[in-house]
Amino acid sequence: MPVNVETVIFFLLAAMAIGAAVGLLLSRNAVHSALFLVLNFAVVSVFFLFLAAPFIAMVQVTVYAGAIMVLFLFVIMLLGAELLRGGASGRWHSALAVVLAAGFVGVLGYVAFFSGIAPEALPNVDAGFGGPQLLGMDLFQTYLLPFELTSLLLLVAMIGAVVLTRDARTRSAAGPGARP
Amino acid sequence: MTFNPFNPQTLLAILPEIALVVVAALVMGLDVVWPESRRRSLGLLTAGGFGLAAGLALIFAQPPADHPLIFGGMMRHDGLAFFFRLMFIFSGMIVALLSVDSAGVARKGEYYAVMIGAVIGMNFMAAAADLIMLYLALETTSIALYLLAGFLREDDKSAEAGLKYFLFGAFTSAITLYGFSLLYGFTGQTNLYSLSAALLGGSVPIGSLLVALLLVLVGFGFKVSAVPFHFWSPDVYEGAPTPITAFISVASKAAGFAVLLRVMLVVFPDIERYWGPLIAVISIFTMTLGNTLALAQRNIKRLLAYSSIAQAGYALIGLAALSQTGVAAAIFYLLTYTVTNLVTFGVVILASRVIGSDEIADYAGLSRRSPGLALAFLVGLLSLGGMPPLAGFFGKFFIFMAAIEAGLVWLAVIGVLNAIIGLYYYLTVLKVVYLYRSERDHETIPVPRAYALALGLCAAAVIVLGTAAAPWFGWATNAASSLF
Repeated sequence: MPVNVETVIFFLLAAMAIGAAVGLLLSRNAVHSALFLVLNFAVVSVFFLFLAAPFIAMVQVTVYAGAIMVLFLFVIMLLGAELLRGGASGRWHSALAVVLAAGFVGVLGYVAFFSGIAPEALPNVDAGFGGPQLLGMDLFQTYLLPFELTSLLLLVAMIGAVVLTRDARTRSAAGPGARP
Repeated sequence: MTFNPFNPQTLLAILPEIALVVVAALVMGLDVVWPESRRRSLGLLTAGGFGLAAGLALIFAQPPADHPLIFGGMMRHDGLAFFFRLMFIFSGMIVALLSVDSAGVARKGEYYAVMIGAVIGMNFMAAAADLIMLYLALETTSIALYLLAGFLREDDKSAEAGLKYFLFGAFTSAITLYGFSLLYGFTGQTNLYSLSAALLGGSVPIGSLLVALLLVLVGFGFKVSAVPFHFWSPDVYEGAPTPITAFISVASKAAGFAVLLRVMLVVFPDIERYWGPLIAVISIFTMTLGNTLALAQRNIKRLLAYSSIAQAGYALIGLAALSQTGVAAAIFYLLTYTVTNLVTFGVVILASRVIGSDEIADYAGLSRRSPGLALAFLVGLLSLGGMPPLAGFFGKFFIFMAAIEAGLVWLAVIGVLNAIIGLYYYLTVLKVVYLYRSERDHETIPVPRAYALALGLCAAAVIVLGTAAAPWFGWATNAASSLF
């Protein structure tokens, strides 16, 4: 592999991404874990920039690092679940997780280095690939119907979320504390 | 593969679904505006909306002869999709009518709106010709059904049903999605028909392809509640609001079959000598397990749950036959099963409102308390058992005939033996209804007009399908021909 600026930056970022992921796992405070995840998402979005997909990179930042993580943090703080405690089942769970993760890394490593699938075999992408224009063309032409169906799916899910949580709130509002 | 470019004419193909979205919005809006006392009409409005959608489908959305792939190849406008879409809309209409006086769900706009969402999802499941569209339609249907199953939040059993259904469904759906991703990885295609072309000629090793096929089968098996993916159904059927149990048992199962038939026959025709016998084995286990476990049930909803597992087994025989007759028989079977099961559940809904329980023992004396209802129950259960001159007889007749035609005589024999076991427990229920007495024999069971209409429609359909089966089977054959 030729050493150039891109490679150096790649390895720096990779170290940051892995560091953030490890920090996410090892942190005992859920808020810290969530913030590590934000860092991880942000670094991964830079990788998308390297892969000539600027639009996906921005989506990664706004949707994942932005909207979804804010929701996570909100829920964590609302429930007061900042501090995690390892339960009795924690030890064999983490042992199993380590084994599975090692297996996964092994498979990935095998595919990347020994299976003979070389990165050169991947086709070059056209200019404009992954850009908002192409994405928009695809989304609103070929994938128009799935796009519309997704909106229906989200609507149904939203109605469901309201239905499943509404009664609990009205009941607690009219509970013993609310009575004169 | 090139697809027809968009022209406004293709919007007519999804006009029924567009109308259903409008009805759902209307129902949600009126739920806010109308006072509690008027909201009973929401169910009638929903049923009317389904009727309208069926009418629009018949007038504007008839499939053209060349079965075009429309909307960028996302859906196929063919006879199979049309048949199933009408069936889903019909089931939706009946279930809406059966819901209008059902405690806890009847006066809630959200309930009907989510139900309409489920039907739209099913319609697109039947028509989907692309993995992305298929998965989204599957999820739209499933998420709506999880919600409906757990709709009675105050009732622990309903909450359990919703959660259990959700966990099982999410798990199997993830596995199916993994299968889809493998298929995409092998070929770089998501369109079912492009996939089919790409897989032809064995460019993908059979072993890898079979893994993808098995993973995809998990999710479809869950939807049709085939063994070994049936564990959810008794608990969900028992806990869900009874109209929704009826809905899941007919429409959701039929939708599962619609995608199962299309994906298996369109994407994997090359390796059908591998999955044909597999489907036959699944069908045997599904029939036998469903029927054997149904024998021991004391709760009518659980009994019908196991019965519906067994019924899925019979329909699978049609697919295992790997022929156009077999597929036509499976489609026709699903039609007869849909109308029959709706009658049966209609009676269960009405009876449990007065009896206050779903125990079979409490159905004693039903024939004296409401002769009409008992008669509808008789029609439904005998048709499920496959007695002539009711719909279920011809359903099973065509299925077994297709199996024999395909040289699967042993499978047909196992099917017939299972039908006999099935008939035994259906007759046991009828014995309680007709021969046993209870202290409340003189209390009649009121039948509101909406329910009478729903039951009458379905019972008439059961009798028509059982006496004049030929035109309907012709329609099913026509639908099946669009897969070959």
